Amino acid sequence: MEKKLARNLFIWATLICSAVFIWLTIDTHRAIPKRTNTDKLTDEAVLGKRVWHKYNCNDCHTILGIGGYYSPDVTKVYSTRGETWLKTFLKNPESPDPLRRKMPNQKLSDNEIKQLITFFKWVDAIDTNEWPPKPITVAKTTGDPLEETALILKGKAIYNQNRCDLCHQIGGKGGIIGPDLSKVGGKRDTQWLSRLIKDPKSVNPGTQMPAYLQLSEDEVQALASFLGGLK
Amino acid sequence: MTYESQKVAIKYFVISAIFFGLQVVVGLLLILKYIWPDPLIGIIPFNTARAIHTNLLVVWMLFGFMGGTYYVVPEESKTELYSKKLADLQFWLLLIGGLVGVIGFLFGWTAGRPLLELPVELKWAVVIVALIFIFNVFMTMIRTKKWTAVQGLLLGGVVMLAVMWLFAIPFFKNLTFDYYYWWWVIHLWVEGAWELIAASLMAFILLKITGVERQIVEKWLYIEVALVLATGIIGTGHHYYWIGTPGYWLWWGGIFSALETVPIVLMVFDTLRHVKHRKIEIPDRLVLYWTIGCALFHFFGAAVMGMVHTLPQVNRWTHGTQVTASHGHLAFFGAYAMLILTVVYYALPKLKGISQYSQKRGFWVFWITVSMMLIMGLAFGVAGVIQSYMQRGLGIDFLTVQDFMKPWFFAVFIAGLGFFVGVLLYIIDVLKIATKKPE
Repeated sequence: MEKKLARNLFIWATLICSAVFIWLTIDTHRAIPKRTNTDKLTDEAVLGKRVWHKYNCNDCHTILGIGGYYSPDVTKVYSTRGETWLKTFLKNPESPDPLRRKMPNQKLSDNEIKQLITFFKWVDAIDTNEWPPKPITVAKTTGDPLEETALILKGKAIYNQNRCDLCHQIGGKGGIIGPDLSKVGGKRDTQWLSRLIKDPKSVNPGTQMPAYLQLSEDEVQALASFLGGLK
Repeated sequence: MTYESQKVAIKYFVISAIFFGLQVVVGLLLILKYIWPDPLIGIIPFNTARAIHTNLLVVWMLFGFMGGTYYVVPEESKTELYSKKLADLQFWLLLIGGLVGVIGFLFGWTAGRPLLELPVELKWAVVIVALIFIFNVFMTMIRTKKWTAVQGLLLGGVVMLAVMWLFAIPFFKNLTFDYYYWWWVIHLWVEGAWELIAASLMAFILLKITGVERQIVEKWLYIEVALVLATGIIGTGHHYYWIGTPGYWLWWGGIFSALETVPIVLMVFDTLRHVKHRKIEIPDRLVLYWTIGCALFHFFGAAVMGMVHTLPQVNRWTHGTQVTASHGHLAFFGAYAMLILTVVYYALPKLKGISQYSQKRGFWVFWITVSMMLIMGLAFGVAGVIQSYMQRGLGIDFLTVQDFMKPWFFAVFIAGLGFFVGVLLYIIDVLKIATKKPE
């Protein structure tokens, strides 16, 4: 092949492929409004996107799988966590567990939180060709709750603060005086568990476990939800 | 070196090397954050550090490309640069712009789009720098008597680089459009404009060191870039699988990005063939090592590691995991970092009029950076596979899975430390050569 021929090949290949690409782009422009529900892309959702940019959320979190890999993807965060959880979390995102990766408190205003959640709600409905994929099978590691709601995380912190692990084991870690709690959620419900925490003798007269009267009703609920999630 | 004005490239190369070092330091901080609960979280949180890490990469590579271009263009056009003053001005603008950008990130001055975090004011400043650069290069080239392919494609590359950058500037209301055009910058830079620049610079070096006829080298250069653009432009589609764009992109993107490996394979053969059929002896072993190493690593990092997770069936599971980080590190290093180091090791001694110097350190740089980047990239890859399997496949919680990946993050850190040593040696080398008195 001569150099001139090679040059013509370069020019034509580039032109043709650019043309095809632009044609596909035009067609994509036609399809996106429906696939992303632009009718629901309200001013508030757009303001939410501006909040998302303002705090550079995208360099820790991915969205649509793009961004930093340091923190969970937020594409489906609206449907998996729900509005209440998001509101609570965004207000105070610092994990109560000191060993876990921590999101610094961005000190968002209530308005910003509302806008951001509206943005997440809109993103949640984008047709992403079914990404992220549904897991092939749901597995869990021992000693970790299946779900991680704010309540459950709080419960886990209470478990640690009150040193329940001195007597109980979860996932092979902890004492042996009390029963192993790794799968306690499979046997007992949260109601039974909260009764036990408040007054152990009421459900098991022979137990050595002391009553945890210093815990508030909320804290008992959180702890019971954490334990109830261990299945 | 034949033209006095080529010397303007020296300071571009020096700053390029120093920014490279800074990028690696910030990289080490980033990986430490993965291993141990977040050092310096109050001052440089992960997002800020990542913005600095990636933007420093872009800036040091731009310095490298621009320095390389300023070295090559006078020699190709057989004339002094149109304006040495403009080249100086442009250097200072880019340096100040880059520093303001990085410091701005520390104070939360950001546009908040990954890799394109520069605030809009600075983005326009980049446009001005690019216009000065293109103007200067173009005005030099039109003085030429005979246009060469190297000139033409180099100019094409820098123009494309500037045009694509324009898509980085606007605010998009719709996230899907945002990312659609985000890739016009990111993908069409690295798999379009940058490839043009890199291929032209490499062709120039091959031409000079092997003495193979220009007709042959340029013919293959044309075929290579023809294939790069033919596959790379539509290959952008492999980023359009899951962002709200239509399903047909899975076909267009899947097929064309699989084909993107072809030009890279061709490039490896090109390089090896030119070296084998050289018309003159190649006394500079170091440049030869970098040239061939660059081609091979480009093939491994960009083509093999890209190919591994570009098919939609695989990408569905690996998208948004550390697999991408693995590919990103290997590809950027092989395709561009090594290319710039090749150019610097070729051009810098010539700019200083040095014909012989000890290349021992240069070889250390070569072997340390290459081996450490291989380990780092593979460790990221293993972490990514664990993540894809446990988090995507088994549906285990994100943070729980991160714990299982920790040993591999640790491996990344250790390899990163080694890599940093290599880069330090490189900076020392560049500074030593750049400050050496001519013989």
